Amino acid sequence: MWMLLLVALVPLVSACTRTTSGTTTPAARTRPAASASSRPAVPDGPAVLLRGGRVMTATGVVYESGDVLLVGSRIAKVGASIDAPADATVIDVRGKTVTPGIVDTHSHLGVYAAPGLTAHGDGNEIVSATTPQVRAEDGYWPQDPQIGRARAGGVTTMQILPGSANLIGGRSVTVKTYPRARGIAEARFVGAPPGLKMACGENPKRVYADKGGPSTRMGNVAGYRTAFQKALEYQRAWDRYRAKLKKQAEAKRNPPKRGKDDDGDKKPEDPPEPPARDLGLETLAAVMRGEILVHNHCYRADEMLGMLALGREFGFRIRSFHHAVEAYKIADRLAAAGTSASVWADWWGFKAEAFDGIRENAALVAAAGGRAIIHSDSGIGIQHLNQEAAKAMWAGRRAGLDVPEDEALRWITANPAWALGVHDRIGTLEPGKHADVVVWDGDPFSVYTRVERVFIEGELVYAKDGSAGAEPSDFELGYPYPVAPPPGAAPAPAKPPEKATP
Amino acid sequence: MTILRWLSFVALALLLAPLAAAAPARTGAAPRTATPTRPGSRVAKLPFDADGPTTLLVGAEVHTGDGTVIPGATIELRGTRIVRVAAGGGAGPADATRIDLTGKVVTPGLVAADTSLGLVEIDLEASTRDDSRGGGDAIRAGFDAASAVHADSVLVQVSAIDGITSAAVTPQGGLVSGRVAWIDLLTGEHATLVAAHDVGMRASLGQVVESSRAATLLRLREVLDDAAFYRTRRGAYDRRQSRDLAAHRLDLEALVPVLERRVPLLVAAHRTSDLLALVQLKSDLGLDVVALGGTHAWRVADELARAKISVVVQPSQNLPGSFDTLGARLDNAALLAAAGVEVGIAVFGEAHNVRNVTQEAGIAIAHGLPRETALRAITLTIARAYGMDAHYGSVAPGKVANLVVWDGDPFELSQKPSAVWIRGKPIAMRSRQTELRDRYLDLRGFVRTRASKRAPR
Repeated sequence: MWMLLLVALVPLVSACTRTTSGTTTPAARTRPAASASSRPAVPDGPAVLLRGGRVMTATGVVYESGDVLLVGSRIAKVGASIDAPADATVIDVRGKTVTPGIVDTHSHLGVYAAPGLTAHGDGNEIVSATTPQVRAEDGYWPQDPQIGRARAGGVTTMQILPGSANLIGGRSVTVKTYPRARGIAEARFVGAPPGLKMACGENPKRVYADKGGPSTRMGNVAGYRTAFQKALEYQRAWDRYRAKLKKQAEAKRNPPKRGKDDDGDKKPEDPPEPPARDLGLETLAAVMRGEILVHNHCYRADEMLGMLALGREFGFRIRSFHHAVEAYKIADRLAAAGTSASVWADWWGFKAEAFDGIRENAALVAAAGGRAIIHSDSGIGIQHLNQEAAKAMWAGRRAGLDVPEDEALRWITANPAWALGVHDRIGTLEPGKHADVVVWDGDPFSVYTRVERVFIEGELVYAKDGSAGAEPSDFELGYPYPVAPPPGAAPAPAKPPEKATP
Repeated sequence: MTILRWLSFVALALLLAPLAAAAPARTGAAPRTATPTRPGSRVAKLPFDADGPTTLLVGAEVHTGDGTVIPGATIELRGTRIVRVAAGGGAGPADATRIDLTGKVVTPGLVAADTSLGLVEIDLEASTRDDSRGGGDAIRAGFDAASAVHADSVLVQVSAIDGITSAAVTPQGGLVSGRVAWIDLLTGEHATLVAAHDVGMRASLGQVVESSRAATLLRLREVLDDAAFYRTRRGAYDRRQSRDLAAHRLDLEALVPVLERRVPLLVAAHRTSDLLALVQLKSDLGLDVVALGGTHAWRVADELARAKISVVVQPSQNLPGSFDTLGARLDNAALLAAAGVEVGIAVFGEAHNVRNVTQEAGIAIAHGLPRETALRAITLTIARAYGMDAHYGSVAPGKVANLVVWDGDPFELSQKPSAVWIRGKPIAMRSRQTELRDRYLDLRGFVRTRASKRAPR
């Protein structure tokens, strides 16, 4: 019977690992096998040398004039001067700035696609306040016209989250903004750990007040605790099952010496019944094992402290508080907990829990030694995260805080990469990392600067001159509107004069 | 009040109504208050003048807002007005206060168009919102923003210290949303916050009425038609000797000055067909029409230019968020300006962040809008759209002394005003947000262990 069950599971298991990051049992690793890669690493592909630009690596090192060599899908070298390999395409980027690809920890592109049709509302599973079983990847529409615009804004990686209607909204998925992706398998950031979306405060209690609760912040926390308690018990059931299996296997390997009086035909014990699989509890159990990173929509300082305590109670860490408009009030505690704060530059006041937003939020988090992140949660904001980081950087500087440009750049590159658990692969310009690179036509912290080129894993996926990445999404085909004006059609951008004048 | 007494009150009112209709007091200019009863009287008397002490702002590079740049200028302020703007020094009165702004940039105060600033404190909290008349009626022309705007709103000062000195406070919702008030962002100044009432009538096209674009246009036509009917037959209306009209009396009354071109009609319209409908409306009725939003305005730029309909856009909004906004593009403002359309720039629907209008203008510049046009788009063009350009929108003699002092390029993300002058006085550069910041700059006073130490054990 055990063998039968195993055989029955095999096709299911392989289907899961090929196309999803779903676990099959709580013990299974959540990362898909390397063979799942739709975009394998190409260490020996074509070489591109970006020569002579201002290179901001987001590691603390800035080359006022430097070179970046991309080979295949990886960054091969970064330095003041690199000899071009014989076959390299050399691109002159003098007067321009080279940075890592922008990373956004908080996006709903694909699950709340444009246009905002009723049919496109795939981000909130509003049937129960606790839905850890759902996955953003199952709602992601790669034809969302917003994705191409995000890419044109320099975004190369983004985390797609379920919405915040639910206490536990489900699993997130981290994607690259590859063009021409036809499904999640072709968009996914292969090897990125899944996240779990949780939400504090007003949204769940507003949505569920008339749907059986929660209707208060008390109910919210009771909801999280109940869910994680169930997951603990679920984990115990699987642990017991595995212990039994192990015991049986050991008994089989070392059968007890038969006594004199044994009749010799005692049947071997049946294998134990596995506990029923529960996709939601499986997700929460993986959270408690640290295999799924918690991304928690939470505005208020008191609630964030409460969630850190909840994490301690159930033995998990919160990777990032999202929106976190009051992070500055507990910047010391966030730094001590190793929890990052994903914040807006200046959104505030649209609801009570956002009333205390200030523009120095990110800078104060950073000043306390924490990880600050500027996130978008917006199809518009995601297109100019560099500008949002600039506003937050200058607000910090005006308040007397020391915010180097490299730190502000980290708010939209290295720090979000860390929050998504992929900082070993993206987020900085360093050899061996993905060749996800943006070339800006000026200072990335200026409002006048535009993205000139975007590379994802070495592939040129956007060029301002229309030579790459200009094709509209499937959805936009056939309408008489150019997504990007054909080169030369638009008036030339006015160049800011030398002197700072309006 | 008993029913009988109430009935007699009503009867008396009915008897007096025709008299009141004929009384000349209807057209007489009442003293200006923050809650005017008579629509369309606009700037009856601005609560400020050119009396008072003189201040000289000397040495700044002044961008006047009408396209002129004056290096090393002198701006002479008296009372609440600008009395002189000149290149070079030039002596003012001997007793004038002289302020050296050498190396600084001065622009007109920025104007927030179409905003619920002062009507909304927290968007999701209905109890803090006064920006819309509830109920199902789509015609809310009588709804007057001036009577609800709140001078104590913290949004006022948060916006003011970033250079927003005036705002066209605008009702939202329905087909005809109501009467727009012009405020200067003087926090707490209830008596004088509203500088002018009835600076606009706000409306929206699209599927507003009966989920139908055509029904929406038809209703707008009907209401304007009935307002015209009412305008010449008030007596008959009050005697009930009139056909049924498409709106209530106060709503029709509020539309009369729109028909008389004393109040502009500001209409949110995105799709090409709606923008062309505005062109037609203006041509048919001779209204003063301004388009708000204008996602597809670039497609009918020539028609809008010919009709002299100015368009207020939000340049960052390039998403195909609905089927009405497919084709949204970042260079809309530049294309409109190139076609000769007067283009304004605003932050729509986000009263808390009208301060980001400089970033919006910067984005428009990055996509082709000339710089001085961008400055005009957030100052003089907006003042003109609301008929307030005689008093606001540029640094010029006779205008209200709303000025912003910058250390550099006002559109750059690095820049925030170093000083803001409203009605001739510098404002305190503090807000609820700077106070929150200052409270939490140093967290040592909040550390939990201190509380633990204090706790008895």
